[in-house]
Amino acid sequence: MFFHIVLERNMQLHPRHFGRNLRENLVAKLMKDVEGTCSGQHGFVVAITGIENIGKGLIRDGTGFVSFPVKYQCVVFRPFKGEILEAVVTMVNKMGFFAEAGPVQIFVSNHLIPDDMEFQSGDMPNYTTSDGSVKIQKDSEVRLKIIGTRVDATEIFCIGTIKDDFLGVINDPASV
Amino acid sequence: MKEIKQLMTMAVMLKVRAGVIKRRKVENLESLEETVASTSQGLSEEKSEATAIEDMCAHPGSFGDMCFLCGQRLIEQSGVTFGYIHKGLRLNNDEIDRLRNTDIKKSLNNKKLYLVLDLDHTLLNSTQLNHMTAEEEYLMSPPDSLPDVLKGSLFRLDFMRMMTKLRPFIKTFLKEASEIFEMYVYTMGDRAYALEMAKLLDPKKEYFGDRVISRDDGTQKHQKGLDIVLGQESAVLILDDTENAWIKHKDNLILMERYHFFRSSCAQFGFNCESLSELKSDECEPEGALANVLDLLKRIHKIFFYELEGNLIDRDVRQVLKTVRKEVLKGCKVVFSRIIPSKVQADSHHLWKMAEQLGAICSTEVDSSVTHVVALDAGTEKSRWAVKQNKFLVHPLWLEAVNYMWRKQPEEKFPVTETKSKTL
Repeated sequence: MFFHIVLERNMQLHPRHFGRNLRENLVAKLMKDVEGTCSGQHGFVVAITGIENIGKGLIRDGTGFVSFPVKYQCVVFRPFKGEILEAVVTMVNKMGFFAEAGPVQIFVSNHLIPDDMEFQSGDMPNYTTSDGSVKIQKDSEVRLKIIGTRVDATEIFCIGTIKDDFLGVINDPASV
Repeated sequence: MKEIKQLMTMAVMLKVRAGVIKRRKVENLESLEETVASTSQGLSEEKSEATAIEDMCAHPGSFGDMCFLCGQRLIEQSGVTFGYIHKGLRLNNDEIDRLRNTDIKKSLNNKKLYLVLDLDHTLLNSTQLNHMTAEEEYLMSPPDSLPDVLKGSLFRLDFMRMMTKLRPFIKTFLKEASEIFEMYVYTMGDRAYALEMAKLLDPKKEYFGDRVISRDDGTQKHQKGLDIVLGQESAVLILDDTENAWIKHKDNLILMERYHFFRSSCAQFGFNCESLSELKSDECEPEGALANVLDLLKRIHKIFFYELEGNLIDRDVRQVLKTVRKEVLKGCKVVFSRIIPSKVQADSHHLWKMAEQLGAICSTEVDSSVTHVVALDAGTEKSRWAVKQNKFLVHPLWLEAVNYMWRKQPEEKFPVTETKSKTL
């Protein structure tokens, strides 16, 4: 699920960035530091959408760096148990398949793939129904349900299932 | 008494079933639970029952420390890590067995066995750029000015500061072996190296897929194991030049003669001679080790699928390997002369064992049924006897060559010379 929230961060800036462009420099550094990172509490920071407020700078003793408390708005992404997600399949093997929804790695075990889909090995491994009408392979897009999540400092892991109504392949790259 | 027991078990079963139905309901509710804080008593009651059911999950394996069946966070780490397939993936032994069992049926239907391939000295030879000698300088020239034979098989990997030479015949080998085997790469090199080499061998990614295993993935230090290969052990063959890496799986192993192309590689194993690279030569393509072993693999495959009797699933490729090996020197009777130290039990010597595995009969005494005398010195009593009786007198290297090639080698290529010094 996506959230638009306000976060705060203390930014340390080198004195050479001071001057007319101080604010721009600060925002640029903030984007570089924060976008694409992951926090256990909020999930994955997708983009900074605006700056709420930049507080008074405080000179650090000894270094000359100045630290500014910055409040910013951003879009974060965090998967939840029970959430339905659309994801792109990255790898298919005997154990099941791996998929990605942005930065989130999801594993769907073959226990949680409908029983009528069987694994086919080869240079393009896939899960296919016996009549061949549905096929999951690399780059397929699937709709799945999250049944477990773990958000690390840098990564998000999820366990998914497609063994439920209205879940499974949304489009098949081979047919496009 | 009996009846009461039966009633009780039935009651338990009913409870479990009710639990399952409830759990379905709970799953739907749970999706809300994380976003909407709810304090309803009913919900929390049902939830505790749901966790009780989840505890019954066998946790066949985990991804990122979560069971991939029920999604529960697992505190205890169990099973085997399959890092080469995906980071954070672990499987329990029961699950590995289950996967192997379903996979073997499919493989056998497709008439395929499993083949585990070592990289260094088996399929290729690598050297560090700074270890190259002056005679090897010519290899550093730009790719299009290289001698024709080296084009497409010699690769300079500047970012790894390495140069790699693929063994002659490798392309045909991989292509034909992939038709009858599901292939794995298993190397003692690190992950980055393994992937880079897999890319050289299989640029189109048609042979190995995600089945590239490096030492970072192994479960034991300095050992290779089939525990992280998802193939039934009774259907796996291994090609490797290092026997000691496979202590637990010697029966699956086909030992390869080491491929040394670069000087540094020869030096590493104590050979102080000019290397193939310095001689501007290479292994013979149609008669080299890979061509020979491909032939052997095809033979084994044929015997396994078409010549054995009984259920496919009960057949064992290790047994086939043993029988084929026993055929090689069938009918030969070998006597060793001054090779096995007298204080050592003769039948525990590695050459003795090797000869027996190849199907020869070993003996300590000469008699008319003896066919080969193996000696280092033509001056010994048994050697002279062999010459006089018109028996083959061969160097121990003959036996090793037979062992590598899996067929009898011309005896005259391994003559024994008389050593004059008899100080020992």
